[in-house]
Amino acid sequence: MNELMPEQFMFLSAALFIIGMVGVLTRRNVLVIFMCVELMLTAVNIAFVGFAWEFSQMTGQIFALFVIAIAAAEAVIGLGIIMALTRQRDTVDINEVRELRQ
Amino acid sequence: MPLELVHPDWGLIVPQLIIVGTIIAILTADLILPRDKQGAVSWIAMVGLVASLASLLTIDWTAGDTTFNEMFRADSFSLFVNMVVLAAGVLAVMISSSYVQSLEERGTMPMPEYLVLVMFSILGAMIVGASGDLLILFIGIEMGSLATYVLTGFARRRMTSLEGALKYFLLGSFSSAILVFGMAWIYGTTGTTSIPEISQQVGTIMNGEQFPEPALLLALLLVAIGLAFKIAAVPFHMWTPDAYQGAPTPVSAYMSVVPKVAGFAALVRVLAEGLGPLSDTWLLLIAILAIITMFYGNIVAISQRDVKRMLAYSSIGHTGYILVGLAAYNHDVPIEMSIGSVLFYLFAYTFMNIGAFAVVTWLQHRGQGVDLDSFNGLGVRSPLTALAMTVFMFSLMGVPPLIGFYAKYYVILAAIEAEMIWLAVAVVLASAVSAFFYLRVVVAMYFNDPEGEWRPQATPLLGLGLLIMAVGTVALGFFSGPVLDLAMNWVDAFEV
Repeated sequence: MNELMPEQFMFLSAALFIIGMVGVLTRRNVLVIFMCVELMLTAVNIAFVGFAWEFSQMTGQIFALFVIAIAAAEAVIGLGIIMALTRQRDTVDINEVRELRQ
Repeated sequence: MPLELVHPDWGLIVPQLIIVGTIIAILTADLILPRDKQGAVSWIAMVGLVASLASLLTIDWTAGDTTFNEMFRADSFSLFVNMVVLAAGVLAVMISSSYVQSLEERGTMPMPEYLVLVMFSILGAMIVGASGDLLILFIGIEMGSLATYVLTGFARRRMTSLEGALKYFLLGSFSSAILVFGMAWIYGTTGTTSIPEISQQVGTIMNGEQFPEPALLLALLLVAIGLAFKIAAVPFHMWTPDAYQGAPTPVSAYMSVVPKVAGFAALVRVLAEGLGPLSDTWLLLIAILAIITMFYGNIVAISQRDVKRMLAYSSIGHTGYILVGLAAYNHDVPIEMSIGSVLFYLFAYTFMNIGAFAVVTWLQHRGQGVDLDSFNGLGVRSPLTALAMTVFMFSLMGVPPLIGFYAKYYVILAAIEAEMIWLAVAVVLASAVSAFFYLRVVVAMYFNDPEGEWRPQATPLLGLGLLIMAVGTVALGFFSGPVLDLAMNWVDAFEV
Protein backbone atom coordinates (compact mmCIF):
# COMPACT_ATOMS: atom_id res chain seq x y z
CA MET A 1 0.00 0.00 0.00
CA ASN A 2 1.25 3.44 -0.86
CA GLU A 3 2.44 5.62 2.00
CA LEU A 4 0.49 8.86 2.55
CA MET A 5 2.55 11.97 2.01
CA PRO A 6 2.14 15.21 4.00
CA GLU A 7 1.77 17.06 0.71
CA GLN A 8 -1.44 15.19 -0.02
CA PHE A 9 -3.02 16.62 3.12
CA MET A 10 -1.82 20.08 2.20
CA PHE A 11 -3.22 19.93 -1.33
CA LEU A 12 -6.59 18.70 -0.09
CA SER A 13 -6.76 21.39 2.55
CA ALA A 14 -5.66 24.17 0.20
CA ALA A 15 -8.18 23.06 -2.44
CA LEU A 16 -11.05 23.01 0.07
CA PHE A 17 -10.01 26.38 1.47
CA ILE A 18 -9.92 28.01 -1.96
CA ILE A 19 -13.27 26.49 -2.96
CA GLY A 20 -14.77 27.84 0.25
CA MET A 21 -13.23 31.26 -0.20
CA VAL A 22 -14.41 31.62 -3.80
CA GLY A 23 -17.85 30.50 -2.65
CA VAL A 24 -18.03 33.18 0.04
CA LEU A 25 -16.99 35.87 -2.40
CA THR A 26 -19.29 34.91 -5.28
CA ARG A 27 -22.47 33.44 -3.79
CA ARG A 28 -25.46 35.60 -2.83
CA ASN A 29 -27.45 33.12 -0.76
CA VAL A 30 -26.71 33.67 2.93
CA LEU A 31 -26.95 29.97 3.76
CA VAL A 32 -24.59 28.99 0.96
CA ILE A 33 -22.09 31.64 2.08
CA PHE A 34 -22.27 30.23 5.57
CA MET A 35 -21.72 26.68 4.27
CA CYS A 36 -18.63 27.91 2.41
CA VAL A 37 -17.26 29.34 5.65
CA GLU A 38 -17.76 25.92 7.23
CA LEU A 39 -15.89 24.41 4.29
CA MET A 40 -12.98 26.74 4.99
CA LEU A 41 -12.94 25.64 8.63
CA THR A 42 -12.89 22.01 7.50
CA ALA A 43 -9.85 22.84 5.38
CA VAL A 44 -8.23 24.27 8.50
CA ASN A 45 -8.92 21.08 10.42
CA ILE A 46 -7.42 18.93 7.68
CA ALA A 47 -4.33 21.13 7.66
CA PHE A 48 -3.95 20.87 11.43
CA VAL A 49 -4.41 17.11 11.52
CA GLY A 50 -2.07 16.69 8.55
CA PHE A 51 0.67 18.72 10.19
CA ALA A 52 0.18 16.91 13.51
CA TRP A 53 0.49 13.59 11.66
CA GLU A 54 3.67 14.80 9.97
CA PHE A 55 5.24 15.87 13.28
CA SER A 56 3.77 12.88 15.24
CA GLN A 57 2.34 15.37 17.75
CA MET A 58 -0.99 15.74 19.51
CA THR A 59 -1.07 19.57 19.47
CA GLY A 60 -2.54 19.94 15.99
CA GLN A 61 -5.21 17.34 16.57
CA ILE A 62 -6.32 19.02 19.77
CA PHE A 63 -6.40 22.37 17.97
CA ALA A 64 -8.64 20.78 15.33
CA LEU A 65 -11.04 19.60 18.04
CA PHE A 66 -11.29 23.14 19.40
CA VAL A 67 -11.88 24.51 15.90
CA ILE A 68 -14.75 22.02 15.46
CA ALA A 69 -16.30 23.18 18.75
CA ILE A 70 -15.98 26.84 17.78
CA ALA A 71 -17.44 26.13 14.33
CA ALA A 72 -20.45 24.58 16.06
CA ALA A 73 -20.92 27.64 18.25
CA GLU A 74 -20.61 29.84 15.19
CA ALA A 75 -23.25 27.79 13.38
CA VAL A 76 -25.71 28.27 16.25
CA ILE A 77 -25.27 32.02 16.27
CA GLY A 78 -25.24 32.38 12.48
CA LEU A 79 -28.38 30.33 11.98
CA GLY A 80 -30.02 32.25 14.84
CA ILE A 81 -29.36 35.56 13.08
CA ILE A 82 -30.60 34.14 9.76
CA MET A 83 -33.76 32.83 11.47
CA ALA A 84 -34.49 36.25 12.98
CA LEU A 85 -33.92 37.79 9.57
CA THR A 86 -36.25 35.47 7.68
CA ARG A 87 -38.96 36.15 10.28
CA GLN A 88 -38.76 39.86 9.49
CA ARG A 89 -38.45 39.47 5.76
CA ASP A 90 -38.79 36.23 3.87
CA THR A 91 -35.45 36.19 2.06
CA VAL A 92 -32.01 34.63 2.26
CA ASP A 93 -30.54 36.71 -0.58
CA ILE A 94 -27.85 39.07 0.66
CA ASN A 95 -28.61 41.55 -2.14
CA GLU A 96 -32.17 42.03 -0.90
CA VAL A 97 -30.96 42.88 2.60
CA ARG A 98 -29.90 46.47 2.13
CA GLU A 99 -31.73 49.06 4.18
CA LEU A 100 -28.64 50.68 5.63
CA ARG A 101 -26.49 53.23 3.82
CA GLN A 102 -29.59 55.39 3.03
CA MET B 1 6.34 13.42 25.65
CA PRO B 2 4.25 12.12 28.55
CA LEU B 3 1.56 14.43 29.81
CA GLU B 4 2.15 15.92 33.21
CA LEU B 5 -0.78 17.13 35.23
CA VAL B 6 0.19 20.12 37.30
CA HIS B 7 -1.93 22.30 39.49
CA PRO B 8 -2.68 25.55 37.67
CA ASP B 9 -1.94 28.77 39.49
CA TRP B 10 -5.51 29.95 40.02
CA GLY B 11 -4.27 33.19 41.61
CA LEU B 12 -3.19 34.47 38.20
CA ILE B 13 -6.61 34.19 36.59
CA VAL B 14 -8.64 35.82 39.38
CA PRO B 15 -9.79 38.78 37.19
CA GLN B 16 -11.15 36.38 34.57
CA LEU B 17 -12.72 34.11 37.19
CA ILE B 18 -14.57 37.07 38.71
CA ILE B 19 -16.09 37.80 35.29
CA VAL B 20 -17.17 34.16 34.95
CA GLY B 21 -18.69 34.35 38.44
CA THR B 22 -20.56 37.53 37.50
CA ILE B 23 -21.98 35.86 34.39
CA ILE B 24 -23.33 33.01 36.54
CA ALA B 25 -24.72 35.51 39.06
CA ILE B 26 -26.52 37.45 36.31
CA LEU B 27 -28.04 34.27 34.87
CA THR B 28 -29.20 33.20 38.34
CA ALA B 29 -30.68 36.64 39.04
CA ASP B 30 -32.53 36.39 35.71
CA LEU B 31 -34.31 33.30 37.02
CA ILE B 32 -35.10 34.68 40.47
CA LEU B 33 -35.97 38.32 39.88
CA PRO B 34 -39.48 39.28 38.68
CA ARG B 35 -39.68 40.77 35.23
CA ASP B 36 -40.08 44.38 36.29
CA LYS B 37 -37.09 44.31 38.65
CA GLN B 38 -34.59 43.04 36.12
CA GLY B 39 -32.92 46.44 35.89
CA ALA B 40 -31.07 45.46 39.07
CA VAL B 41 -28.85 43.05 37.15
CA SER B 42 -26.92 45.95 35.65
CA TRP B 43 -25.69 46.66 39.20
CA ILE B 44 -24.49 43.06 39.52
CA ALA B 45 -22.57 43.51 36.28
CA MET B 46 -21.03 46.77 37.45
CA VAL B 47 -20.00 45.32 40.80
CA GLY B 48 -18.45 42.34 39.02
CA LEU B 49 -16.53 44.52 36.58
CA VAL B 50 -15.25 46.84 39.30
CA ALA B 51 -14.28 43.87 41.48
CA SER B 52 -12.38 42.39 38.56
CA LEU B 53 -10.68 45.75 37.98
CA ALA B 54 -9.72 45.88 41.67
CA SER B 55 -8.43 42.29 41.61
CA LEU B 56 -5.82 43.36 39.05
CA LEU B 57 -3.99 44.82 42.05
CA THR B 58 -3.59 41.41 43.70
CA ILE B 59 -1.30 40.05 40.99
CA ASP B 60 2.39 40.80 40.57
CA TRP B 61 2.44 41.61 36.87
CA THR B 62 6.13 42.41 36.66
CA ALA B 63 7.06 38.79 37.38
CA GLY B 64 5.53 37.63 34.08
CA ASP B 65 4.24 34.39 35.59
CA THR B 66 2.57 31.81 33.40
CA THR B 67 0.13 29.04 34.15
CA PHE B 68 -1.75 26.24 32.33
CA ASN B 69 1.46 25.04 30.68
CA GLU B 70 2.47 28.53 29.59
CA MET B 71 -0.80 28.95 27.70
CA PHE B 72 -1.91 31.74 29.99
CA ARG B 73 0.36 34.61 30.91
CA ALA B 74 0.07 37.33 33.52
CA ASP B 75 2.52 39.95 32.22
CA SER B 76 2.48 43.74 31.95
CA PHE B 77 0.91 43.59 28.49
CA SER B 78 -2.05 41.56 29.70
CA LEU B 79 -2.44 43.90 32.69
CA PHE B 80 -2.89 46.89 30.40
CA VAL B 81 -5.29 45.06 28.07
CA ASN B 82 -7.35 43.90 31.06
CA MET B 83 -7.47 47.43 32.39
CA VAL B 84 -8.67 48.97 29.12
CA VAL B 85 -11.23 46.25 28.47
CA LEU B 86 -12.70 46.34 31.98
CA ALA B 87 -12.89 50.14 31.98
CA ALA B 88 -14.67 49.98 28.62
CA GLY B 89 -17.01 47.35 30.11
CA VAL B 90 -17.98 49.54 33.08
CA LEU B 91 -18.66 52.51 30.80
CA ALA B 92 -20.63 50.37 28.32
CA VAL B 93 -22.88 48.99 31.07
CA MET B 94 -23.44 52.52 32.41
CA ILE B 95 -24.57 53.93 29.09
CA SER B 96 -26.62 50.93 27.99
CA SER B 97 -28.84 50.02 30.93
CA SER B 98 -31.51 52.68 30.35
CA TYR B 99 -31.34 52.23 26.56
CA VAL B 100 -31.89 48.50 26.72
CA GLN B 101 -34.81 48.87 29.10
CA SER B 102 -36.75 51.72 27.56
CA LEU B 103 -35.85 52.30 23.90
CA GLU B 104 -36.30 50.16 20.75
CA GLU B 105 -39.82 48.87 21.44
CA ARG B 106 -39.89 48.50 25.19
CA GLY B 107 -39.39 44.98 26.44
CA THR B 108 -37.92 43.36 23.34
CA MET B 109 -34.38 43.50 24.69
CA PRO B 110 -33.99 41.48 27.91
CA MET B 111 -31.43 43.12 30.17
CA PRO B 112 -29.84 39.98 31.71
CA GLU B 113 -29.16 38.39 28.33
CA TYR B 114 -27.68 41.62 27.05
CA LEU B 115 -25.31 41.86 30.00
CA VAL B 116 -24.29 38.21 29.80
CA LEU B 117 -23.27 38.71 26.17
CA VAL B 118 -21.35 41.87 27.04
CA MET B 119 -19.54 40.04 29.83
CA PHE B 120 -18.65 37.09 27.58
CA SER B 121 -17.22 39.46 25.03
CA ILE B 122 -15.16 41.20 27.75
CA LEU B 123 -13.92 37.83 28.97
CA GLY B 124 -12.87 36.93 25.44
CA ALA B 125 -10.84 40.13 25.06
CA MET B 126 -9.17 39.56 28.45
CA ILE B 127 -8.20 36.05 27.38
CA VAL B 128 -6.68 37.35 24.14
CA GLY B 129 -4.54 39.79 26.11
CA ALA B 130 -3.28 37.04 28.39
CA SER B 131 -2.73 34.38 25.73
CA GLY B 132 0.59 32.60 25.40
CA ASP B 133 -0.61 30.12 22.80
CA LEU B 134 -2.35 30.41 19.42
CA LEU B 135 -5.12 28.10 20.65
CA ILE B 136 -6.04 30.35 23.59
CA LEU B 137 -5.73 33.41 21.39
CA PHE B 138 -8.17 31.98 18.85
CA ILE B 139 -10.65 30.91 21.52
CA GLY B 140 -10.52 34.37 23.10
CA ILE B 141 -11.10 36.13 19.78
CA GLU B 142 -14.00 33.88 18.91
CA MET B 143 -15.58 34.20 22.35
CA GLY B 144 -15.52 37.97 21.95
CA SER B 145 -16.69 38.03 18.32
CA LEU B 146 -19.55 35.56 18.69
CA ALA B 147 -21.02 37.54 21.59
CA THR B 148 -20.67 40.78 19.62
CA TYR B 149 -22.50 39.35 16.56
CA VAL B 150 -25.52 38.66 18.76
CA LEU B 151 -25.32 42.07 20.44
CA THR B 152 -25.35 43.77 17.02
CA GLY B 153 -28.62 42.07 16.17
CA PHE B 154 -30.04 42.53 19.65
CA ALA B 155 -32.87 44.83 18.50
CA ARG B 156 -34.37 41.80 16.80
CA ARG B 157 -37.57 43.51 15.60
CA ARG B 158 -35.63 46.16 13.70
CA MET B 159 -34.51 45.15 10.21
CA THR B 160 -31.42 47.41 10.18
CA SER B 161 -30.09 45.84 13.37
CA LEU B 162 -30.43 42.35 11.88
CA GLU B 163 -28.84 43.48 8.64
CA GLY B 164 -25.83 44.84 10.53
CA ALA B 165 -25.58 41.62 12.51
CA LEU B 166 -25.77 39.47 9.37
CA LYS B 167 -23.03 41.38 7.58
CA TYR B 168 -20.85 41.46 10.67
CA PHE B 169 -21.38 37.75 11.20
CA LEU B 170 -20.66 36.67 7.62
CA LEU B 171 -17.49 38.72 7.26
CA GLY B 172 -16.44 38.00 10.85
CA SER B 173 -16.66 34.24 10.47
CA PHE B 174 -14.99 34.47 7.06
CA SER B 175 -12.08 36.36 8.63
CA SER B 176 -11.91 33.89 11.53
CA ALA B 177 -11.50 31.07 9.03
CA ILE B 178 -8.67 32.95 7.29
CA LEU B 179 -7.03 33.69 10.64
CA VAL B 180 -7.14 30.11 11.85
CA PHE B 181 -5.87 28.82 8.50
CA GLY B 182 -2.91 31.13 8.99
CA MET B 183 -2.43 29.65 12.45
CA ALA B 184 -2.44 26.17 10.91
CA TRP B 185 0.38 27.22 8.60
CA ILE B 186 2.34 28.77 11.45
CA TYR B 187 2.00 25.44 13.22
CA GLY B 188 3.00 23.63 10.04
CA THR B 189 6.20 25.63 9.58
CA THR B 190 7.31 25.86 13.22
CA GLY B 191 5.85 22.68 14.74
CA THR B 192 4.46 24.49 17.77
CA THR B 193 1.54 26.69 18.76
CA SER B 194 3.19 28.33 21.76
CA ILE B 195 3.90 31.99 20.93
CA PRO B 196 7.37 32.28 22.56
CA GLU B 197 8.46 28.99 20.95
CA ILE B 198 7.18 30.18 17.56
CA SER B 199 9.40 33.23 17.95
CA GLN B 200 12.46 31.01 18.60
CA GLN B 201 11.64 28.63 15.76
CA VAL B 202 11.06 31.45 13.27
CA GLY B 203 14.39 32.96 14.32
CA THR B 204 16.11 29.64 13.60
CA ILE B 205 14.34 29.16 10.27
CA MET B 206 15.17 32.69 9.14
CA ASN B 207 18.77 32.35 10.26
CA GLY B 208 19.75 35.82 9.12
CA GLU B 209 18.17 35.48 5.68
CA GLN B 210 16.38 38.43 4.13
CA PHE B 211 13.22 36.76 2.84
CA PRO B 212 11.18 34.11 4.64
CA GLU B 213 10.27 30.85 2.98
CA PRO B 214 6.95 30.89 1.09
CA ALA B 215 5.03 28.82 3.66
CA LEU B 216 5.93 31.23 6.44
CA LEU B 217 5.04 34.21 4.26
CA LEU B 218 1.65 32.63 3.50
CA ALA B 219 1.03 32.08 7.21
CA LEU B 220 1.97 35.68 7.97
CA LEU B 221 -0.33 37.08 5.27
CA LEU B 222 -3.29 34.92 6.30
CA VAL B 223 -2.98 35.88 9.98
CA ALA B 224 -2.52 39.56 9.15
CA ILE B 225 -5.58 39.60 6.87
CA GLY B 226 -7.70 37.72 9.41
CA LEU B 227 -6.84 40.17 12.17
CA ALA B 228 -7.15 43.20 9.86
CA PHE B 229 -10.83 42.28 9.47
CA LYS B 230 -11.24 42.24 13.25
CA ILE B 231 -9.74 45.69 13.75
CA ALA B 232 -11.52 47.09 10.65
CA ALA B 233 -8.46 48.14 8.64
CA VAL B 234 -9.07 49.19 5.01
CA PRO B 235 -9.59 47.23 2.68
CA PHE B 236 -11.07 44.78 5.17
CA HIS B 237 -13.53 47.24 6.74
CA MET B 238 -16.69 46.56 4.68
CA TRP B 239 -18.73 45.35 7.64
CA THR B 240 -17.91 48.27 9.93
CA PRO B 241 -20.24 51.09 8.80
CA ASP B 242 -23.26 48.82 8.44
CA ALA B 243 -22.69 47.03 11.74
CA TYR B 244 -22.13 50.27 13.68
CA GLN B 245 -25.11 52.00 12.11
CA GLY B 246 -27.46 49.07 12.51
CA ALA B 247 -26.58 48.05 16.05
CA PRO B 248 -28.31 49.58 19.09
CA THR B 249 -26.25 52.72 19.89
CA PRO B 250 -24.67 51.51 23.18
CA VAL B 251 -23.63 48.35 21.36
CA SER B 252 -21.98 50.46 18.65
CA ALA B 253 -20.11 52.25 21.44
CA TYR B 254 -19.06 48.97 22.96
CA MET B 255 -18.04 47.22 19.75
CA SER B 256 -16.04 50.18 18.54
CA VAL B 257 -13.72 49.56 21.48
CA VAL B 258 -13.54 46.09 23.01
CA PRO B 259 -13.34 43.87 19.89
CA LYS B 260 -10.84 46.37 18.49
CA VAL B 261 -8.70 46.13 21.62
CA ALA B 262 -8.87 42.34 21.35
CA GLY B 263 -7.86 42.52 17.69
CA PHE B 264 -4.89 44.76 18.42
CA ALA B 265 -3.83 42.61 21.39
CA ALA B 266 -3.88 39.59 19.07
CA LEU B 267 -1.93 41.47 16.38
CA VAL B 268 0.74 42.41 18.91
CA ARG B 269 0.91 38.92 20.39
CA VAL B 270 1.14 37.17 17.01
CA LEU B 271 3.04 39.63 14.81
CA ALA B 272 5.29 41.50 17.24
CA GLU B 273 5.98 38.62 19.58
CA GLY B 274 5.47 35.33 17.69
CA LEU B 275 6.55 36.46 14.23
CA GLY B 276 8.87 39.18 15.55
CA PRO B 277 11.91 37.84 13.66
CA LEU B 278 9.93 38.47 10.46
CA SER B 279 9.38 42.12 11.33
CA ASP B 280 11.28 43.33 8.27
CA THR B 281 8.62 41.69 6.13
CA TRP B 282 5.47 42.80 7.91
CA LEU B 283 6.47 46.30 9.02
CA LEU B 284 6.02 47.76 5.54
CA LEU B 285 2.74 45.87 5.12
CA ILE B 286 1.38 47.33 8.36
CA ALA B 287 2.64 50.81 7.48
CA ILE B 288 0.86 50.77 4.09
CA LEU B 289 -2.28 49.40 5.73
CA ALA B 290 -2.08 52.23 8.29
CA ILE B 291 -1.88 54.95 5.64
CA ILE B 292 -4.72 53.60 3.50
CA THR B 293 -6.87 53.08 6.59
CA MET B 294 -6.44 56.52 8.13
CA PHE B 295 -7.06 58.43 4.89
CA TYR B 296 -9.97 56.31 3.69
CA GLY B 297 -11.74 56.41 7.06
CA ASN B 298 -11.38 60.14 7.55
CA ILE B 299 -12.21 61.14 3.98
CA VAL B 300 -15.33 58.99 3.68
CA ALA B 301 -16.51 60.19 7.10
CA ILE B 302 -16.84 63.72 5.69
CA SER B 303 -19.76 62.77 3.45
CA GLN B 304 -21.82 61.03 6.17
CA ARG B 305 -25.00 62.60 7.58
CA ASP B 306 -25.79 59.79 10.00
CA VAL B 307 -23.69 60.40 13.10
CA LYS B 308 -23.34 56.70 13.96
CA ARG B 309 -22.08 56.00 10.45
CA MET B 310 -19.77 58.98 10.65
CA LEU B 311 -18.33 57.70 13.93
CA ALA B 312 -17.91 54.28 12.31
CA TYR B 313 -15.72 55.77 9.57
CA SER B 314 -13.92 57.87 12.17
CA SER B 315 -13.17 54.68 14.12
CA ILE B 316 -11.69 53.21 10.92
CA GLY B 317 -9.48 56.30 10.77
CA HIS B 318 -8.38 55.73 14.36
CA THR B 319 -7.48 52.13 13.51
CA GLY B 320 -5.07 53.64 11.01
CA TYR B 321 -3.42 55.82 13.65
CA ILE B 322 -3.03 52.89 16.05
CA LEU B 323 -1.49 50.76 13.28
CA VAL B 324 1.23 53.41 12.96
CA GLY B 325 2.38 52.51 16.47
CA LEU B 326 2.62 48.86 15.46
CA ALA B 327 4.46 49.74 12.25
CA ALA B 328 7.11 51.48 14.35
CA TYR B 329 7.93 48.17 16.04
CA ASN B 330 11.27 46.78 15.01
CA HIS B 331 12.50 43.46 16.26
CA ASP B 332 16.18 44.14 15.68
CA VAL B 333 16.25 47.67 17.07
CA PRO B 334 13.50 47.60 19.72
CA ILE B 335 11.62 50.87 20.01
CA GLU B 336 9.95 51.13 23.40
CA MET B 337 7.48 53.73 22.25
CA SER B 338 5.94 51.53 19.51
CA ILE B 339 3.72 49.04 21.36
CA GLY B 340 3.53 51.50 24.27
CA SER B 341 1.85 54.05 22.01
CA VAL B 342 -0.53 51.39 20.67
CA LEU B 343 -1.64 50.57 24.20
CA PHE B 344 -1.93 54.21 25.22
CA TYR B 345 -3.99 55.00 22.13
CA LEU B 346 -6.40 52.17 22.88
CA PHE B 347 -6.81 53.51 26.42
CA ALA B 348 -7.47 57.06 25.20
CA TYR B 349 -9.79 55.84 22.45
CA THR B 350 -11.93 53.99 25.01
CA PHE B 351 -12.87 57.19 26.81
CA MET B 352 -13.43 59.51 23.88
CA ASN B 353 -15.16 57.13 21.50
CA ILE B 354 -17.57 55.55 23.99
CA GLY B 355 -18.25 59.12 25.11
CA ALA B 356 -19.21 60.25 21.61
CA PHE B 357 -21.60 57.33 21.18
CA ALA B 358 -22.98 57.97 24.68
CA VAL B 359 -24.05 61.47 23.64
CA VAL B 360 -25.92 59.96 20.66
CA THR B 361 -27.64 57.58 23.11
CA TRP B 362 -28.47 60.54 25.35
CA LEU B 363 -30.15 62.32 22.42
CA GLN B 364 -32.11 59.22 21.44
CA HIS B 365 -33.54 59.14 24.95
CA ARG B 366 -34.89 62.62 24.31
CA GLY B 367 -36.75 61.71 21.15
CA GLN B 368 -34.03 62.72 18.70
CA GLY B 369 -32.72 60.73 15.75
CA VAL B 370 -29.13 59.81 14.94
CA ASP B 371 -28.52 62.21 12.06
CA LEU B 372 -26.51 65.39 12.23
CA ASP B 373 -29.64 67.57 12.49
CA SER B 374 -30.47 66.09 15.89
CA PHE B 375 -27.45 67.91 17.26
CA ASN B 376 -28.86 71.29 16.15
CA GLY B 377 -29.10 73.68 19.07
CA LEU B 378 -27.91 71.24 21.70
CA GLY B 379 -25.82 74.07 23.14
CA VAL B 380 -29.07 75.85 24.09
CA ARG B 381 -31.06 72.80 25.11
CA SER B 382 -28.45 71.19 27.29
CA PRO B 383 -25.21 73.16 27.66
CA LEU B 384 -23.49 70.45 29.74
CA THR B 385 -24.07 67.64 27.24
CA ALA B 386 -23.01 69.93 24.41
CA LEU B 387 -19.84 70.71 26.33
CA ALA B 388 -19.16 66.98 26.85
CA MET B 389 -19.69 66.29 23.13
CA THR B 390 -17.35 69.18 22.28
CA VAL B 391 -14.69 67.66 24.53
CA PHE B 392 -15.06 64.26 22.83
CA MET B 393 -14.99 65.74 19.33
CA PHE B 394 -11.90 67.85 20.08
CA SER B 395 -10.21 64.88 21.69
CA LEU B 396 -10.94 62.62 18.71
CA MET B 397 -9.60 65.39 16.50
CA GLY B 398 -6.44 65.59 18.60
CA VAL B 399 -6.60 69.04 20.20
CA PRO B 400 -4.22 69.62 23.12
CA PRO B 401 -4.34 69.19 26.10
CA LEU B 402 -7.01 66.47 25.75
CA ILE B 403 -6.12 62.78 25.91
CA GLY B 404 -6.63 62.29 22.16
CA PHE B 405 -3.82 64.73 21.48
CA TYR B 406 -1.36 62.80 23.64
CA ALA B 407 -2.41 59.53 22.02
CA LYS B 408 -1.56 60.91 18.58
CA TYR B 409 1.55 62.61 19.90
CA TYR B 410 3.00 59.32 21.21
CA VAL B 411 2.13 57.49 17.99
CA ILE B 412 3.92 60.20 15.99
CA LEU B 413 6.91 60.03 18.35
CA ALA B 414 7.11 56.27 17.81
CA ALA B 415 7.03 56.74 14.02
CA ILE B 416 9.79 59.38 14.18
CA GLU B 417 11.91 57.19 16.44
CA ALA B 418 11.56 54.37 13.91
CA GLU B 419 12.71 56.78 11.20
CA MET B 420 9.39 56.65 9.38
CA ILE B 421 8.89 60.38 9.02
CA TRP B 422 6.43 59.95 6.14
CA LEU B 423 4.16 57.95 8.45
CA ALA B 424 4.25 60.73 11.07
CA VAL B 425 3.39 63.31 8.40
CA ALA B 426 0.50 61.14 7.22
CA VAL B 427 -0.95 61.06 10.75
CA VAL B 428 -0.91 64.85 10.93
CA LEU B 429 -2.48 65.26 7.47
CA ALA B 430 -5.21 62.71 8.21
CA SER B 431 -5.99 64.49 11.50
CA ALA B 432 -6.36 67.76 9.62
CA VAL B 433 -8.87 66.08 7.26
CA SER B 434 -10.77 64.70 10.24
CA ALA B 435 -11.29 68.21 11.65
CA PHE B 436 -13.98 68.76 8.95
CA PHE B 437 -16.50 66.29 10.25
CA TYR B 438 -15.74 66.58 13.95
CA LEU B 439 -16.10 70.36 13.85
CA ARG B 440 -19.34 70.08 11.87
CA VAL B 441 -20.97 68.44 14.90
CA VAL B 442 -19.71 71.23 17.17
CA VAL B 443 -20.98 73.89 14.75
CA ALA B 444 -24.41 72.22 14.61
CA MET B 445 -24.60 72.21 18.40
CA TYR B 446 -23.76 75.87 18.94
CA PHE B 447 -24.68 77.76 15.78
CA ASN B 448 -27.87 76.08 14.54
CA ASP B 449 -31.36 76.59 15.94
CA PRO B 450 -32.99 73.72 17.80
CA GLU B 451 -35.49 71.70 15.81
CA GLY B 452 -37.69 68.69 16.35
CA GLU B 453 -39.58 67.56 19.41
CA TRP B 454 -37.68 67.56 22.71
CA ARG B 455 -38.75 65.15 25.45
CA PRO B 456 -36.93 65.81 28.74
CA GLN B 457 -36.17 62.59 30.55
CA ALA B 458 -34.07 61.57 33.56
CA THR B 459 -31.19 59.21 32.74
CA PRO B 460 -28.94 59.41 35.85
CA LEU B 461 -26.64 56.48 35.08
CA LEU B 462 -26.05 57.60 31.50
CA GLY B 463 -25.37 61.13 32.75
CA LEU B 464 -22.87 59.84 35.30
CA GLY B 465 -21.14 57.80 32.60
CA LEU B 466 -20.92 60.89 30.37
CA LEU B 467 -19.46 62.89 33.25
CA ILE B 468 -16.82 60.24 33.98
CA MET B 469 -15.79 60.04 30.32
CA ALA B 470 -15.69 63.81 29.80
CA VAL B 471 -13.67 64.35 32.98
CA GLY B 472 -11.45 61.39 32.07
CA THR B 473 -10.79 62.78 28.60
CA VAL B 474 -9.63 66.08 30.08
CA ALA B 475 -7.90 64.87 33.27
CA LEU B 476 -6.05 61.92 31.74
CA GLY B 477 -4.70 64.33 29.17
CA PHE B 478 -3.05 66.31 31.93
CA PHE B 479 -1.87 63.15 33.72
CA SER B 480 -0.93 61.07 30.69
CA GLY B 481 2.56 60.38 32.06
CA PRO B 482 1.69 57.63 34.57
CA VAL B 483 -0.58 55.88 32.06
CA LEU B 484 2.15 55.94 29.45
CA ASP B 485 4.64 54.54 31.98
CA LEU B 486 2.25 51.67 32.62
CA ALA B 487 1.86 51.10 28.88
CA MET B 488 5.64 51.13 28.37
CA ASN B 489 6.00 48.13 30.68
CA TRP B 490 5.15 45.90 27.71
CA VAL B 491 8.91 45.74 27.17
CA ASP B 492 9.27 43.48 30.24
CA ALA B 493 6.59 41.18 28.92
CA PHE B 494 8.19 40.46 25.57
CA GLU B 495 11.86 40.08 26.46
CA VAL B 496 12.87 41.97 23.34
